[in-house]
Amino acid sequence: MIRLSMLQLRVQAITAAVALIAFAVLLAATGPHLASLYAASGLRGCQPASCSQRASSFLQQVNSTGPYATVDLLSIIIIALTPAITGLFWGAPLLARELETGTFALAWSQSVTRARWLAVKLTVGGLAAMAVTEALSLLFAWWAAPLSRAAGLGGSGNGLAMSQFNPLAFVTHGITPLGYAAFAFALGVTAGALIQRTIPAMAVTLAIFAALQIAMPLWVRPNLFPASHTTVSITSDTTLNLYTTDSPHTFTFTLATDGSLAGQPGAWIRSSGAADAAGHPVSTVVPSACSPAASSSGPGAALANCLTSRGIRIAVTYQPASRYWPLQWTETGIYLVLSLALAGYCFRRLSRLS
Amino acid sequence: MNAVIAASGLGKAYRRTWALRDCTLAIPEGHVVGLVGPNGAGKTTLLRLATGMLTPTRGTVSVLGQRPAAGPAQLARVGFVAQDTPIYSRMTVADHLRLGAWLNPGWDDHLARQRISQLALNPKQRAGSLSGGQRAQLALTLALAKRPGLLILDEPVASLDPLARREFLQGLMEAVAGQGLSVLLSSHLVADLERVCDYLVVLVASRVRVAGEVSDLLASHHRLSGPRRDPGTLPAGQEIITESHTDKQSNLLVRTDGPVLDPAWAVKPVSLEDLVLAYMSRARDDGQAKPQQLKVAS
Repeated sequence: MIRLSMLQLRVQAITAAVALIAFAVLLAATGPHLASLYAASGLRGCQPASCSQRASSFLQQVNSTGPYATVDLLSIIIIALTPAITGLFWGAPLLARELETGTFALAWSQSVTRARWLAVKLTVGGLAAMAVTEALSLLFAWWAAPLSRAAGLGGSGNGLAMSQFNPLAFVTHGITPLGYAAFAFALGVTAGALIQRTIPAMAVTLAIFAALQIAMPLWVRPNLFPASHTTVSITSDTTLNLYTTDSPHTFTFTLATDGSLAGQPGAWIRSSGAADAAGHPVSTVVPSACSPAASSSGPGAALANCLTSRGIRIAVTYQPASRYWPLQWTETGIYLVLSLALAGYCFRRLSRLS
Repeated sequence: MNAVIAASGLGKAYRRTWALRDCTLAIPEGHVVGLVGPNGAGKTTLLRLATGMLTPTRGTVSVLGQRPAAGPAQLARVGFVAQDTPIYSRMTVADHLRLGAWLNPGWDDHLARQRISQLALNPKQRAGSLSGGQRAQLALTLALAKRPGLLILDEPVASLDPLARREFLQGLMEAVAGQGLSVLLSSHLVADLERVCDYLVVLVASRVRVAGEVSDLLASHHRLSGPRRDPGTLPAGQEIITESHTDKQSNLLVRTDGPVLDPAWAVKPVSLEDLVLAYMSRARDDGQAKPQQLKVAS
């Protein structure tokens, strides 16, 4: 039965292998040079004081030379889309095509029970989808290691230095791709079992998976663990986003999310805003004295001093960097449990398909 | 009597519609059984219940003494060629034989290869590009090479041209002679079955109307024609299946185990087709009478 599922997955497997090899070749062709740029940047073993400066200039160099920014973006898109693709083209037809063309009657009249037939098909297809997605993710992690290290050292540089909590970074690194791949595959199979036609099953799979991938970072992931709160003072190094409000001479601000939170490097900043000396949030600042000269960029020493002298600080809600792996495990676990639930439903559905 | 298929009060409903209802049946082993009935009589439903593709809503069915599809061992003993002979159109002929070998412990590879070469099928050809007849032959090869005790075929020749039809049935008969297996095949055309079957089951509106060995059925049914008379005056033991009367003449199709002795009758044998048609039209007349009875009852 394992051999039959592999035979039936032959076309998909060849496609996946070709795509995987092409991806590996692309990364292997550009990766070593990226690593040599990193080696030449002197970031390895840099003094903490100069690190973030050097990291930023390294990232800017990478950004302006060669295809790295494009490869980086392309890889992220590919890895983020792979679970959906395997769910659509492997999962959805798995049962739908058999039911649509009537070949289930051929399969189910061999000397193999229906439950075993489904179990093997689900296992082989699901593991293959997970393996392909995770292989892409690991290849990319190897390629992007210099960029991640530079970002970790506090470097900033457009899209190249994503925080590890950035939704696009979170879903393409670590173990979450395993969960998404398993879930999208199981979702495709279930949609196929319910709808019994391949194309509509693919459409439904895509719609549900996309909706979930949008809902997850917006509403679920931030609430998996209770957030931490802190209040920090404003210094001339703090990067603020300033917003003018309706009434004149008032404004409010948030901490720029790519700015690092003092004492919490790599933290996932959920929200931030002005607070008074006691740490209570204030809705607007009336800074007749501190009217910001430049409305958008950094506050500058004058603004920082002015705000600080009036007792205004920044209240920040965040997830510390140490929550990265617990969040990865939890989210992957959620998706794997959902996948198993869908698989279980498929068994029930198939035994009742009669 | 060892029954290859024994059904009792068997019924299958889809939502509120009964596709098969109150079906009671026992088919002895060692026969090539024709299951005949009009479209929508429940033939496909009965065969799918017998292969375990469907589970009954009511009643029970056992095949070779076990619940259909009860486990790998039971599945191994029943071969099934479903309606429209489904095959994997993207896989080659050789892939299909491989599939059969992988999934069936009792697979007879020699038999499978022999049949494929006899049929002059190219093993490397995609099954999707086979003709209807070749496709049916491939499906039959898969079902035969697993060496089943019972082979079930659902309208296997319905979509084939006359030549392919004859070749398919010929191949089937050769295999039956060689393997000594029981066969149950359905058709809505008696002509297809006449050549191959030695046992007949007529199913109309989900009820078994008559079942028995073909030779017995032909010996016990007679077409009588003679001067008009009241059917009630027939001797006991002569059951009227159909009757038609003109002013002067009566034409009857009767079932009786003994000889027809009344000299007033001209007695003619019946063909299998006449016999099946007679039971079908009787069932239809019964069916028309039924709704009225139901109305009274409700």
